[in-house]
Amino acid sequence: MKEILLKSKIVVCVGSGGVGKTTVAAALGVWAAKLGLKTLVLTIDPSKRLASTLGIDSDADIVQVPNSEKYGKLYAGLIQHKKIFDDFVLKAAEKTPGAEKILDNPLYKQLSTQLSGSQEFTALEKLYSVYKENKFDLIVLDTPPAQHAIDFLRAPQKLAALFNEKISQWFRDPKGKDSSFWKNMLQAGTRQVFKVLESVTGSEFLAHLSLFFQQIHGWQNKLEERTVEAHKMLVSPQCSFVLVTSFDQAKMLEAEYFAQEIRIGGYHLKSVILNRAYPKWLQGPAEGILPEHQALFGEFKKTFEQKQKDFANFKKSFPAEYHMIPESGEPVSDLEALAQLVEIFEQSEKL
Amino acid sequence: MIRQIHFVSGKGGVGKSFWSLCLAQKSAQLGHDTLLAELGERSYFKDLLRTATPDMEPITIAPNLGLSLWSGAKSLKEYILYLIKVPALYNLFFENPAVRSLISIAPALSELAIMGKITSGPRKHGPAMKQEILVVDAPAMGHFAALLRAPRGMAETIRFGPMGEQSRSIEKTFRDSKLCTFWLVTLPEELPVQETEELYLMLQKEFQIKARVVLNKTIQTKVDLNKKSDHPFDVFLQDQVTRQNTLRKRLLKLDPDLVEVPLGFSDKPWLKNDMVPSQVFS
Repeated sequence: MKEILLKSKIVVCVGSGGVGKTTVAAALGVWAAKLGLKTLVLTIDPSKRLASTLGIDSDADIVQVPNSEKYGKLYAGLIQHKKIFDDFVLKAAEKTPGAEKILDNPLYKQLSTQLSGSQEFTALEKLYSVYKENKFDLIVLDTPPAQHAIDFLRAPQKLAALFNEKISQWFRDPKGKDSSFWKNMLQAGTRQVFKVLESVTGSEFLAHLSLFFQQIHGWQNKLEERTVEAHKMLVSPQCSFVLVTSFDQAKMLEAEYFAQEIRIGGYHLKSVILNRAYPKWLQGPAEGILPEHQALFGEFKKTFEQKQKDFANFKKSFPAEYHMIPESGEPVSDLEALAQLVEIFEQSEKL
Repeated sequence: MIRQIHFVSGKGGVGKSFWSLCLAQKSAQLGHDTLLAELGERSYFKDLLRTATPDMEPITIAPNLGLSLWSGAKSLKEYILYLIKVPALYNLFFENPAVRSLISIAPALSELAIMGKITSGPRKHGPAMKQEILVVDAPAMGHFAALLRAPRGMAETIRFGPMGEQSRSIEKTFRDSKLCTFWLVTLPEELPVQETEELYLMLQKEFQIKARVVLNKTIQTKVDLNKKSDHPFDVFLQDQVTRQNTLRKRLLKLDPDLVEVPLGFSDKPWLKNDMVPSQVFS
């Protein structure tokens, strides 16, 4: 992991919900700072205590982490989804008159809220803009909470695919005179398609839709451009992916799937972190346990050994660095606890 | 004819799918024709149970028990095919690039289509389902909230026309407490309990839904909290049982009939489903 931190410009932490991705991202940040790198941790939706530890519980954009000097140069930033999305749209559409009106369009409002992969897009947008500014040696990105680890990679492309379809021909009038969605629909000779659409959605929906496509004119190219550039950044060898996962059957299956997909996609999966893999006491001897607790200890031990066997098989399936992080019992939310996590990483590295 | 819908949610990694499977199996064992539905693009139960790949149409995984995988895009297609009934027109519709874009651009559409599919039986709108009991392995907290909020969001955006109407009928259906049960699965740990409390209150406040709560992986071994021991395992057990007792009290305030699932070590824990109260399906 140390080598990965030293050789990368970007570390992207991916993983499905509930595996402790945010904590791991923060700990990697502390570690990189300790290695002398000017490091930025970009995070989404941290717990309140972790946010206040990182100093990002206010409206500030990027801040130096309070009391972090002893670890090095550590900065943190919160990805404020709605704000970034709105800023992007306004900037991209600056030459279009009345661009700010799009912020009131009901369809835009939906697009820019939590649904739809727009969160993944803003995470990428923020990462890309900070990366381009080149003010940090390393950026550690915590990705949006997702059902599956792969969602982060798919969402932005899904969003951009929309603009590849040349749908402007459908929804806009190129001369700018008669920009009626209805008329274009009819001109295209697909009256039937339109009728179906109307019967399913209703005319009010179509009116919003028409307006939406007129308003996004101007920033669709920017969006596509941005997605392509961001993709280039993500597949570069200096961008390392770290999969954070937990030590159960379901997550292992997912990790396997993710590892395959990431390979096909041309990204660089460098490390797999099994977070909260086992409780610390499991490594110690059984002697001295109260007699009434011994049976339970035996069960824990047996299960863990089985999991280790499954894990050994899993490891064979693709090459990456592996770390097993024991469970600490307490939520990791202050700097000292993060630093302790770093020590655990360092120990795991020596093994 | 679907007469009960069970939604199962909770923080990631607490055992949502496990509880969904317990509910579905119990229901099937009691002789009810049962459907377990996963949402999304990829089946988890397929890997866990080593079955064939499920799709919109259920595959049988045990007597009385079907498994389906419902994605937003496929639910929407199914719904539209149901509405327009002419395959040729339907193909024309879905092959149209503008329509395809529309489907991905209107983000709530996918959530709406899934909620439409889940509630289609009782609303008698959409392809018929023969099962009696539907168990939905729903997404985790944030995605679940988005799923439930989608119909209202759409109904507020689009006040007139069929889409607004459908949206209102979907919400009315899932808020019907005679028809739908919401299970929130959690663990005896601070963060999952905190998030369960938040989701519970959200369901109550926004939808007047009273959810049921399931506390998974509780330690049932008798632990004497006053016995002195230095072994870290004993210390862990005493701490954990103390924590568990405090958290249980908090959860009992939400659901006085809190269901507890003991910590188990079997590799197929769902086979032992006697903690599912059988009156749930009556």
